Amino acid sequence: MNPIDDDILQAYVDGELDAPTAARIDAALVHDEVLADRVQQMRALRTQLQAMFDPVLDEPVPAHLSALLQPSVSAARRRPARRRWVPAVALAASLVLVALSVWWWRSDQGLTRMRNGQPYAAGVLALTLDQALASEPKAHAPVAIGLSFREADGHICRTFVVRTPPTLAGLACHGDAGWALPVLGAAAPSEEGELRQAASALPPEVQTAVDERLRGKVFDAKQERAARAAGWR
Amino acid sequence: MREGLIALLPRLRRLARALAWQVADADDLVQVVLERALARAEQWRPDAALDKWVFAIARNAWRDELRARNRSQNLFAPEEDGDTVADVAAAPPAQRLELAMALAALPPDHREVVALVLVEGTSYSEAAELLEVPVGTVTSRLARARATLQAHLGTEA
Repeated sequence: MNPIDDDILQAYVDGELDAPTAARIDAALVHDEVLADRVQQMRALRTQLQAMFDPVLDEPVPAHLSALLQPSVSAARRRPARRRWVPAVALAASLVLVALSVWWWRSDQGLTRMRNGQPYAAGVLALTLDQALASEPKAHAPVAIGLSFREADGHICRTFVVRTPPTLAGLACHGDAGWALPVLGAAAPSEEGELRQAASALPPEVQTAVDERLRGKVFDAKQERAARAAGWR
Repeated sequence: MREGLIALLPRLRRLARALAWQVADADDLVQVVLERALARAEQWRPDAALDKWVFAIARNAWRDELRARNRSQNLFAPEEDGDTVADVAAAPPAQRLELAMALAALPPDHREVVALVLVEGTSYSEAAELLEVPVGTVTSRLARARATLQAHLGTEA
């Protein structure tokens, strides 16, 4: 009888064995702890991968994709695919982390775009960072601005909270290429259970990043308005 | 066939997500796949499984994108490290981030067997047919990918 190697165990976990062989593994697992451990690990990997990707099945399909399958849609009206691929191989480990954070963000609404491997604000997020003043909060805006300040190297940074689920908070710093997003994190719900005050909802990693960058004071309403008038430079 | 494709869309998006990095990239891939499937509709015989046919298109489209990506990458100036890249704290599912990173770092031929067999639940023989390699190649790639990923398993399971 063949020894039970990892290939057979793998086939067992993936449901690829015929019934007699599977029964033989079943029997072996009962009194072989090492083997049982291996199987348990392989199952855990499958489970975690599925937990990672199965939620996609329940996401609403973006309208522009289902629209492609409507017979009435003419080719001319189809939206061209955005070519925004990240040069993956060149990414350093920290960049992988950045990209994955953005990926986890499920940037369906196009709140971010990648440029040379770094995430930048896009869409309504970029618009809000450009236009909105924390001194004039808009209760129903999808993105709320928290603090604005000039960091040590001269760039202006602003904290923000995305209110629409999945809620996210981060730090955006203005440069020649737009609003770079060096830090993103899950927004902590405020005590009222909603993200009323952007500043109070900042997760610790964003708070830490602010503390590290902040020299001097955060902008008051007048400075914030002046910074906007100057194009955040 | 359009109805079949509509029913298949959630699974196609899941597969694309497991292959590509970001949601937007994955849905771009789905769009390319749908356009190709519609353009080649006459090549599909109704007695063949639509999902297998579409997934094969998806895999090839993904490979095309990777090639295009590698080409365009050469146009970029070398990545500067250091000050432009700030540390980013772990985003929401922190315990799975490490696994996600390990998955993203897999070579493409490993990543596609993981996406097909472990995420989509394709059988070895179907995956082999779809990837146009022998079954033994599928299982050995899968075993190596597993060994890599296993080291990055989250603790929650």
